[in-house]
Amino acid sequence: MQYFMQLVISGVAIGAIYGLIAMGFAVIYKSTGLVNFAQGEMTMITAYIAWTISTTVSGNVFVVTFGAILAAIVLGLVIERIVMRPMLGEPVFATVMVTIGLAVILRSSINFIWDAYPHGLDVGFGRSIVRIGSIGVRTGQIAVIVTLLALLAAIWAFFRYSKIGVAMRAVAADDRTALLMGISATRVHALAWAASSVIAGIGGVFFALSYDLSPAMFQLGLKAFPATILGGLDAVLGSGLGGLLIGITENLAGGYVGSGMKEVAGFAMIIVVLMIRPFGIFGERDIERV
Amino acid sequence: MRTGDFKQTYGELVTLVDSPPVWLWSAVLLAGLIAAPFVLNSYALSFLMIILITVVGALGLNILTGYTGLISLGHVGFLVTGAYAYAVLVSKYHMHPLLGFLGAGVVPALASLIVGAPSLRLKGLYLAITTLAFSFIINTVILEARWLTNGARGISVPRPEIFGLSFDSDAAFTYLCLGFAILTLFATLNIRRSRVGRAFVAIRDNDTAARVMGINLHAYKLFAFVTSAFITGLSGALYGIYLSFVSVEGFPFLLSIEALAILIVGGLGSALGAVLGTILIVLLPEATRFAFSLFSAQIDAVFTTGAQELKSMLYGLVIILFLRFQPRGLVGAWHDIRRMWVNWPLRY
Repeated sequence: MQYFMQLVISGVAIGAIYGLIAMGFAVIYKSTGLVNFAQGEMTMITAYIAWTISTTVSGNVFVVTFGAILAAIVLGLVIERIVMRPMLGEPVFATVMVTIGLAVILRSSINFIWDAYPHGLDVGFGRSIVRIGSIGVRTGQIAVIVTLLALLAAIWAFFRYSKIGVAMRAVAADDRTALLMGISATRVHALAWAASSVIAGIGGVFFALSYDLSPAMFQLGLKAFPATILGGLDAVLGSGLGGLLIGITENLAGGYVGSGMKEVAGFAMIIVVLMIRPFGIFGERDIERV
Repeated sequence: MRTGDFKQTYGELVTLVDSPPVWLWSAVLLAGLIAAPFVLNSYALSFLMIILITVVGALGLNILTGYTGLISLGHVGFLVTGAYAYAVLVSKYHMHPLLGFLGAGVVPALASLIVGAPSLRLKGLYLAITTLAFSFIINTVILEARWLTNGARGISVPRPEIFGLSFDSDAAFTYLCLGFAILTLFATLNIRRSRVGRAFVAIRDNDTAARVMGINLHAYKLFAFVTSAFITGLSGALYGIYLSFVSVEGFPFLLSIEALAILIVGGLGSALGAVLGTILIVLLPEATRFAFSLFSAQIDAVFTTGAQELKSMLYGLVIILFLRFQPRGLVGAWHDIRRMWVNWPLRY
């Protein structure tokens, strides 16, 4: 039982990271209608920038957090402006291929800007162990779960109550009508890219905090895919919760079946989800009118 | 003056080539390729082999992505399955190489049935995601099934000997690859001009309309996927023989991206495009390296240490730039040049 609880808790912790990145996917899908295959790479770059800040400027938690968020916003805006906006109005196929191209470029740029060795992100916080009953949990793991829950609430409120949130939903629902109502689609897209970059970037920084930075970190994006498929590609909150489910499943599969299973449990789940409920647990069914 | 290229019967629309000189030039090209192993040194010959092997794989992906308009991010999965199927059958069970090649096509085709049946019911990008998942799952499966695949140790594959003909030398193996490339080229060209190929293109252009016209979307998408996996598997077997050693590391994920880059650079949905794209993409890293080495030896050193990274950066850059500035690819550019040549000084 204790082994089970331990697996579940560390599953929730890694799942919260997947959830954050999956929310990044969903924010972009919801407002621009495309799957951003460079999400994992953007996450990785933000984490590397956070590491650079912690080693060169200051290891203070707040400085690093502020710097990482700022960097993520800039990264999202730059990518949207330089790479994605010229593709506006092109077929989805072409736009998605552009994100794939972007992913490969960002992935290999890590080795040129930084190096190929693993690094630990040290901000004097997150690695100490707290005991809850007989189960040990790292403070970083608790922090990421709390952050995920806080962000879920904040995003729910944002889409529900704020004017910009409503505008984003309008663009997602019907971009032509939204344009006629005076909503700037480009501004909404830029905002979506920045927001997605920040949300996923936070996930990346937490990952670096609990585990290590390495050029293989982009695979977090691949791990978060199942989460967003499970939750629903257009459901931001659902994707966050999907991440938790995937994290737990993956850890249980790894703990009880075998370590090879841990790597593929999420992907196996995608195929099952697509067979049963292709639009995800919280997603909206896509009905096509001719 | 030639005023245009008019098709007056349906027969003319589906002919293999639309003007007789194409046959002549193709024959010249073929003669050149047959003479190539005698002329080229072994370094250049290795590029020719890679190009021919890659053409097979690119034509395979072209059926799926080019004709039917479905993205696959996991074709490297079929490549590796094909290579392993051949290696296991021929090296481990000492079967005839031709049976090995058959297995290299059939095993990935079966795998594609399993992946495709659930995911092709859906529209849009879901196939990209499930194939991506497949390419990771298959690596784990191969590493775990040690009794069959030797796990991480890999299997060494000798060059084949078919009906007393040994393909041991580089020149002979080039001919084998050339044979496969020509067969695949004719196969895909003929699929494209058949009823099936027209159904594929109809699905790509507008699936709702295709369905209204009585095309069974699920069956045809699955057919495209399976055919594509079959051909890609053959290419994987050839690549395994070329490497003379099959292991999971020999087939990095980058190959999936490379294949997509080839199709985009060449021009989606055109067999000629797949061939042109392959030539450009295979030679691109080498050409860039040569161009930079003219300027400084220091940059040349970077190319040796970070070869894999530079390669992927180049692929990414080429994908983005072509989609942005020349979405119809090299084939589109070639058509424009040809039209300009014929119509000059008029524009149309």
